[in-house]
Amino acid sequence: MDIASLRKPELTRRDFMKVAGMTAAYFGLSQALTPQIVQALEENNGKAAVIWLEGQSCTGCTESFLNNLEPTASSILLDTISLRYHETAMAASGHQAETALEETIAEGGYVLVIEGSIPLAEDGAFCTVAGRKFTDIVRDTARNAAAIICVGSCATYGGIPRSGPTDAVGYLFRGKELHHYFDDVGPKPVINLPTCPVHNERLTATIVHYLTFGTVPELDQYNRPYAFYGKIQHDNCTRRGNYETGRFVTDFGDPNQHGYCLILKGCKGPIARQDCWNRKWNNRGNYCIDAGHPCVACSEPDFYEDTSPLYAHDYDFGLPPL
Amino acid sequence: MTRIVVDPLTRIEGHLRIEVEVENGVITDAWSAGTMARGWEKILQGRDPWDAPYVTSRVCGVCEGVHTIASNQAIEDAFGIELTEAGRLMRNLFSAGYYVHDHFIHFYVLSALDFLDIMAIASYEGSDPGLLAVKSKIVGLVSAGDTSPFTPRYTPDEFSVNDPETVTTLVSHYLKAIELKAKSQKMLSYLTGIQPHPNALMPGGCTATPSVEVLQDLRKLWQEQADFVNNVYVPDVMAVGYGPLLPLAASGFGATNGNYLAFPMLPQGGSASAGDISFGGSNPMFRGGVVKANGERASRTDISNLTVEDVDYSQITESVTYSWYDYPAGVDALHPSEGVTDFNLQKQDAYSFLKAPRYNAETMEVGPLARGMVNQFPELVDFFNAGGREGVVARHLSRAVISKQIINDGLAWIDRLIEMRLAGPLVGMNEKPVPKTGRGMGVWDAPRGALGHWIEVDNWRIKNYQMVVPSTWNAGPRDENGVKGPYEQALIGAPVPDLDNPINVVRIIRSFDPCIACAVHLIDPHTNQRKVVKVA
Repeated sequence: MDIASLRKPELTRRDFMKVAGMTAAYFGLSQALTPQIVQALEENNGKAAVIWLEGQSCTGCTESFLNNLEPTASSILLDTISLRYHETAMAASGHQAETALEETIAEGGYVLVIEGSIPLAEDGAFCTVAGRKFTDIVRDTARNAAAIICVGSCATYGGIPRSGPTDAVGYLFRGKELHHYFDDVGPKPVINLPTCPVHNERLTATIVHYLTFGTVPELDQYNRPYAFYGKIQHDNCTRRGNYETGRFVTDFGDPNQHGYCLILKGCKGPIARQDCWNRKWNNRGNYCIDAGHPCVACSEPDFYEDTSPLYAHDYDFGLPPL
Repeated sequence: MTRIVVDPLTRIEGHLRIEVEVENGVITDAWSAGTMARGWEKILQGRDPWDAPYVTSRVCGVCEGVHTIASNQAIEDAFGIELTEAGRLMRNLFSAGYYVHDHFIHFYVLSALDFLDIMAIASYEGSDPGLLAVKSKIVGLVSAGDTSPFTPRYTPDEFSVNDPETVTTLVSHYLKAIELKAKSQKMLSYLTGIQPHPNALMPGGCTATPSVEVLQDLRKLWQEQADFVNNVYVPDVMAVGYGPLLPLAASGFGATNGNYLAFPMLPQGGSASAGDISFGGSNPMFRGGVVKANGERASRTDISNLTVEDVDYSQITESVTYSWYDYPAGVDALHPSEGVTDFNLQKQDAYSFLKAPRYNAETMEVGPLARGMVNQFPELVDFFNAGGREGVVARHLSRAVISKQIINDGLAWIDRLIEMRLAGPLVGMNEKPVPKTGRGMGVWDAPRGALGHWIEVDNWRIKNYQMVVPSTWNAGPRDENGVKGPYEQALIGAPVPDLDNPINVVRIIRSFDPCIACAVHLIDPHTNQRKVVKVA
């Protein structure tokens, strides 16, 4: 591999076209809008300030975001946004990092990305950064944000930590319920992008959509964009035919059952609203069901507390008996 | 005397806080503290054991899959499941592929900025079109007045690499590494469904049934990773390790007391029994073992004849004297199979959510350097002969050596899988029902070091689940005898000539590749007062 093949070209109009084309495609917008998106990106140099907070996170959503290939994550980081604060990515440490955060908050008008749940128990003591409670950090950064994007199931509903002892919640929701803990921040556009972890394309397209149009896409009752969460896994499943004809996986080790419906293995496809069946994961690499793993409905507020046990068929889908 | 607060320490995973005392420009004492808890072990109590691999993967989105593997092994041990050959190969391939991108991302994206004067790029005068493109990119950011996320940063010191060509080359590799990591995750998703978090790796093997075409594509992507490791990553690490960073390496900068613990990983035997798999499997690519300290502080000059003991897993304990947990009265330390996770946030003297793991009552450094010492890597022996010593640079070097071996040897596993797939459907899983009662242990040497999961099943449900993870071994606090953890040991003696620029503190901590975001404090031992100095 020679050095020329490692070339990272400067951002060109072609790169903007790529970002714009992707955004239009992901949101199901007309490709005729692509020039408008390109223009918006070029005019701002695309550099909207972004603050990315990590609370009770596993950093899996950050990892997932960095998996973007079209366009590459580094081109988003360097060309599309100005990432002012992100504990995992930024060069700065300590006070430099905190100063960058304070200055960006003072400027206002940034996009706030929240990863990880927010622990309310013990007055927030289960997560502190720089000696401050994460609850306070969220409140302070949310106040001056132009928009808030909650990435992953933890920041949306509390996720798996909701089942633990720390009263972990999302920015708006504790499971299905609104918790009103940050109501004093005032009304803000909040876009929730659940799944465990967040899907890199849904996130990238949401950021670019916001930068282009200055508005949030159409959202459902859990503040999820319809474009990504409007359809049900089970209705569109790649294995649906096997469900209809009664071919079910009962033993993962039986090669005669490869490709069969996973519902008896606990698949929660009937309650899962997402487009994994179409979008797939990792740049069209694969997704859970194509790898023989049941859907666990990680896009839903029921996850994980009410979808456990994950691999047992004892969830009431309200469907006719099999 | 000044006390400095550096908080948070970034470019690591999670939340960690470290305090250090500085006297006359040298660190004299240190405290390491985890500042976030979710109560994972509590979440698992009373659950179906099958949930554990999925849930424990989410302990960490960076070290994701290794938890799944350790959890699978613990369950296989408890249920009496033997792994199929295809299951073992797919699990190994996932682990190997993940290791490699995790290591080169750590070097380029998480660590390199501590050693590079990135602004040297502006002085690049060569004619390489690729490097000129990087130069124009960075200069463009500077002239636009917005160099996030590369700035702000600590001021480069005498150990910072500032040769324009080297720095420009390494930054071009920084950008390439991010892209190759995404490609690696795509490659691994063929086996695991999604990445990060390999859902399809389950107790008994792997549910994925890739076609020959998919496996051939996987092989192609694997080869691209191998090319990057062999032609870019390893040469870069060698070039800086034997070049500008050799004086730092020779000083033993960032060494712990020199106790090392590694668990076995990547079994290469045929299908293996449950007990065998839980202990890392037959014929592991990297063996487990223990290397004992040779003094208060590691001071080996030759490592070609180290005594390596086998691991006795019954010698592992965790203490909570300085952790925000309670143990039953009179109990100082517990084996993880009997472990307890009861929070007490009001506990006197406690300063961390991490427990303090010990082996035979001693601290152990775990991770790439431990793996290198236990397995006697020839490249590491050579590095010592050239003057290198245990510490920061040796950790980076070990990662590169490990990456090279597993990415090159992994090709044979793909070929074997293709051969098996051509002969018929892959049987990746061997499923068994949950027993009414059972106990199991699973161990694996994660990228960051020795990882163990312990499960106890009662009434078909998880009664107790305990994890002892690499960053707990390394970042854990003092124990009941006041013995400091490995991070705390490694910081002591490190020079901090400029209290406004404690770059050495972050170099040491990041060399462990911590999986817990961090805050670093410098404390004056006499006044016990805190003066906050802004580090601009």
